[in-house]
This record gives sequence, structure tokens and C-alpha cells, in this order.
Amino acid sequence: MATVFMKWLETSPKDYDRGIQLLTLGRIRRVKERIANTYARQGVRVLEIGCGTGTLTAMMAARGAEVTAIDASPTMLEEAERKIAAAGLEDRVTLEHMDAVLIGERFPPASFDLIVATLVFSELSRDEQRYILEACKTLLTPTGRILIADEVIPARGLRRLLYYAVRLPLVLLTWLLTRTTTTALSDFESLLQEVDLQADATVAYLGGSLVLYNIIPAAAAPPETALPRTVVGRLHHRVTLRTLLLDLWLLLFRIIPPYPKVRTGLYMIGRPDSESPVLVTGNFDLTVRRVVRALDGKVNVWLLVADSSGINVWCAAGGGYFTAEKVIAAVKSSRLSEVVRHHALILPQLCANGVDGWRIRREIGWGVHWGPVRAEDIPAYLAAGRKKTDAMRWVRFPLKDRLEMVTVTLGFYGLLILLPLLIFWRAMFWPVTLSLVGLSYFYAIALPRLPGRDGLYKSIPLAGFALAGFALYTVFWNPLPPLDLFRWALILTGLSVFTGAELQGMSPLMRGEQANWGWEALIGATLLAIYWLVPLALGWR
Amino acid sequence: MTAPSSLLSSLKEHLKIARELRYLEIHFYPEKCKGVWQCYEVCPVGCWTPNYEKRVVIFHDPEKCIACGACVLQCPQDAIELK
Repeated sequence: MATVFMKWLETSPKDYDRGIQLLTLGRIRRVKERIANTYARQGVRVLEIGCGTGTLTAMMAARGAEVTAIDASPTMLEEAERKIAAAGLEDRVTLEHMDAVLIGERFPPASFDLIVATLVFSELSRDEQRYILEACKTLLTPTGRILIADEVIPARGLRRLLYYAVRLPLVLLTWLLTRTTTTALSDFESLLQEVDLQADATVAYLGGSLVLYNIIPAAAAPPETALPRTVVGRLHHRVTLRTLLLDLWLLLFRIIPPYPKVRTGLYMIGRPDSESPVLVTGNFDLTVRRVVRALDGKVNVWLLVADSSGINVWCAAGGGYFTAEKVIAAVKSSRLSEVVRHHALILPQLCANGVDGWRIRREIGWGVHWGPVRAEDIPAYLAAGRKKTDAMRWVRFPLKDRLEMVTVTLGFYGLLILLPLLIFWRAMFWPVTLSLVGLSYFYAIALPRLPGRDGLYKSIPLAGFALAGFALYTVFWNPLPPLDLFRWALILTGLSVFTGAELQGMSPLMRGEQANWGWEALIGATLLAIYWLVPLALGWR
Repeated sequence: MTAPSSLLSSLKEHLKIARELRYLEIHFYPEKCKGVWQCYEVCPVGCWTPNYEKRVVIFHDPEKCIACGACVLQCPQDAIELK
């Protein structure tokens, strides 16, 4: 009995991998990819502490790094050996069975450029952590760094609560499925301080519960020079109750002013210096937060927030709110030329419809580079030396964005149409709400597959689907009298045209919805006339 | 009297914008093009393709145009018009 239970408890390497994936909701894979993509290069000597089944080991070796990987578990190492052999990477990988506390005795000083440990430190006692960090310091070359990725218990109230609410059921589920569990680090940065190390940058995943620490010896950290007085401050990616509530508001009522704004001026992301690139953006709160989320912990840059009247850069530029003059004003008033030595601005590509790049070049002599469409592409764009691929240049409209934009538009039309209905024509409120919501989300999902080159054309198949659904409803669930049938068919047709034509404005791949207003008004008036006149003419009751 | 008339004029304005936006088209004058490729750099839907040999740009995909006007504004040679 007992041995059976013990056997069940023993985690197989495959189960372990699955369990870790599940516990971190797949993020651990991304952490490993980032480590390998950013730091593993030809000839870099890496020590991986606790390599487990060798996933990261193989990734780093595949990019040319020479990896020494250690683990205390022979079964894990066997699996790692198989993985490395299967990838044909034996030449660049040395696997050793040893406990992490022995690294200081086993390897000569200054023998690694990079020391990596993922989900290892949380399994160790505080004393072991301190001992190993001390050893790491001697093993590193002077320019070397330590990367530690681990689970962290969020320090503050609400996020801590959220963390336990999500984590407890997840831990139970993972343990039942794979007999894998992990512990979490707490107060790690103060430990780093104790041993004269410091986190040069940190990247947080899963609301701060999975963190990648990028650690260097404290003495090697570039001294923080006195900030130029025009710098507003440093921006960090943070999820707080305020940002959650703001996101919720913006998800529904983004179109409606007043728009949440960020103070204009020059900000730091990471630790930029006088050579770091300068990115320009508008002062819409959501824009700035999304840029920071995409960049914090990945690059060291200056962010120049110019006045776009609290509107996103594309719409603001199109509407004349974000112009070359606004960018020039921001460059001048932040005294940017006293902060950086170069004269190059990176502007969001999507503001090119309103910000005259040549005017900036002519007026103040700063070079203008058009950055990628999406903030997520900025690190790759910078790494490639300000080179854009076509994928970074072209807008896309994936399902996630379509659902978001439909919700944004529905929030607006909710106030515009549904609220008056609720007050003046309550009988119509629920049917119209359900139809509009159903049509909108159906349209969002089906958009790429609906024939027609613009929203007005696409509303024809949309109306077809709506009427077919209505026919099914009346045949199978609720047979309606002819007058109701007639009227609802017209209403659904009208709502379909409205949905197709108006939601065109949310798509970056089509012209503004204003292009449809003429036809929309005409079709609407016609449908309305039929709605009232036909029953009247036929004496229908 | 002013309220209805201003309402009417703003409606007219809206319809004018609607007509313009619906029928705006890119007019490209290749003879003016010096191959700066700013249009290619800023077009979000991929209408333009640079021809590196002849140092000009080709307006190869007019169907995709969303009339955003970025290429018109960024062309230093005024070789592109939207009308």
C-alpha cells in the first residue's frame, strides 16, 4: 500500500514538465525563450543550475552557447540527455549530476558569462540561496550576469489576494494531474542586496507572480547619474486596482470623453543613457500603459509623451490632434537635446497620417524614424538596428482585437441606442439588445470570412445569417404572427446594416465608417418607410 | 431659426465627409518619385512596393487602400495625391 502511494507520488520527468507548464499557465516557456533569445549567443559560456529535463539547455545550445548544466536528480538528467542527443547538441552541452551548493568548489572562478536558474531558488532554503549566490559571484566573468526566473508571492494586498485565489485551485489541480508542485520566493531582492548583487532589470509575468531577475554585481551597475530635471520619472508595468478598473471602463466606453491622460514629457523605461533611443507616443493613458507593458524590462529607452489630447496616436493624427507641432513642442519643452547626445526620434508608424516627418526634420533638425505599428515589435525593431520587417509595418486585425473593438463599440451604442430604448420603449429593449450583441460578436468572429470588401457589403451576408436565425427561431421556438414577422425581419435587416457599416470604423483594414453614412441613412430611411407604410397600406393588424 | 439650420448644415457636412471618404483615391505621379520610399515605410496596409533597382516605388495594391493619407503627407516630392 505504502509503496504504491510512494510510486504514485514519484514524479516522472514528463509529468514534471507538464506540471510546470500548467502551474505557470504556459509562461515558463516564454521566460525560457526570452532567456535563450536575448542572451544565448555563439561562444557564450553558460552555467545552468537545475536544468531539469533540459528544455532551456537545448534552446541555449541551439543558439550557439556552450552550456554546462547541472541537476540533483538523475532521472531528470537522463531525460535531459535524451533531449540534447535528439537535438544533436552534445558538442556544446556538458551535463553533470551535482547539487547546486557545490558549484563554487567544482568550477574555477570567472569561468562563466552567464548563470541561469529557472524555478530552482524557490526550492532552496534562504541559507542555501545566499551560499549559492555568493558562489555565482565568483564564477562570473566581470561582465557576466545571473538570470533567475522564479515564482514570487506578490508583495501587495490586492494582487496577493488575487494570487492566492488563482493559485490554490491551480496547485491542487496540477498536483492531482502530475504530482508536481512548486514553492515561491519571497523578499528575494533584499537577499540580493545582502550579497552585493542587484537586479538590473526584472520582467514580471502573470501579474508579478513569475519574475525573471536579471542580476549583476552591485559594483558593476552603472551609477544612476542625477536625473535631468526635465525627466518626469520612470515608468513601470504595473497591474493595480486602478489600472484594472480603468481597463474595464475603457473596454466599454473608450470612445466617450473625457479620455484618461498621462502627463506629457520625457519618461524613462528601464535605465536609458545619453545614447539610448527616444520613442515618441501620445498621451492617452491606455497607449502609454501598453507601450510600457511591451517594453518594461526588455529595453532601456526614453519615452517622450507628446500631447495627443488623450487620444490614441492613429485617431489623433487623423483628426488633427497629434501633429508635427505637438512633437516639436514635446522635444523642446523636455529639453531632450540636453538629455541625449543623438538627434533621432522614433515615431509610431500609425501617426504618419497626421505628423509631418519632414516638418520635424526641417524645423528642429531631428531625424524621424517610423517605428513598428505594434509596441510589442519595438524590442525586435531596435535590436535589428531600427529595421522593420513587413510584418511590423502592416496592421493586422486578429480575433482578440476584433472582440475588443466590438466591445468598445457596443459600449458606445449601448449609451446611444439601448439606453433611450430602455427609457422610452422598454418592450423593445431586450430583443434589440440581444440582437445587436449577437450580431456584433458574430460579425467580429466571422469578419475575415464574410464576403464583401467593406462593411456595407459585408452587412448583406450578415443580414442573411440574421434572417436565417430568425426563421429558425420562429419555426422551432416561437411562431410569430405575420405582422411581427414582417417587422422583426426589417428590424434585423436594419441592425445588420448598422452593425456591418458602423463596425467598419473599428477595423484598421478598412476605411472609416463615415464612408458608409450616406448609404446607411438611405437604407435606414427606406427600411423605416417600409416598416410603417406597408402594414398601413395593407390594413395589416 | 439658427438651431435647425445649423443642424442641417452639420448633417450636410457629415454627408460630404462620407462621400469624400468613400470615393477618395490615390493618384500617384511616378515621374516625380525619387525613391525615398517613405510611403512604403508608413503605409499600414501594404499598398506600396519599393523597386530598388529603379529607385522608385510602385503603387501595386490600390484595392487595399484605406485612404489614411499617410503616404501623401510623408512624400517629400508631392508625388502622391488623395482626391
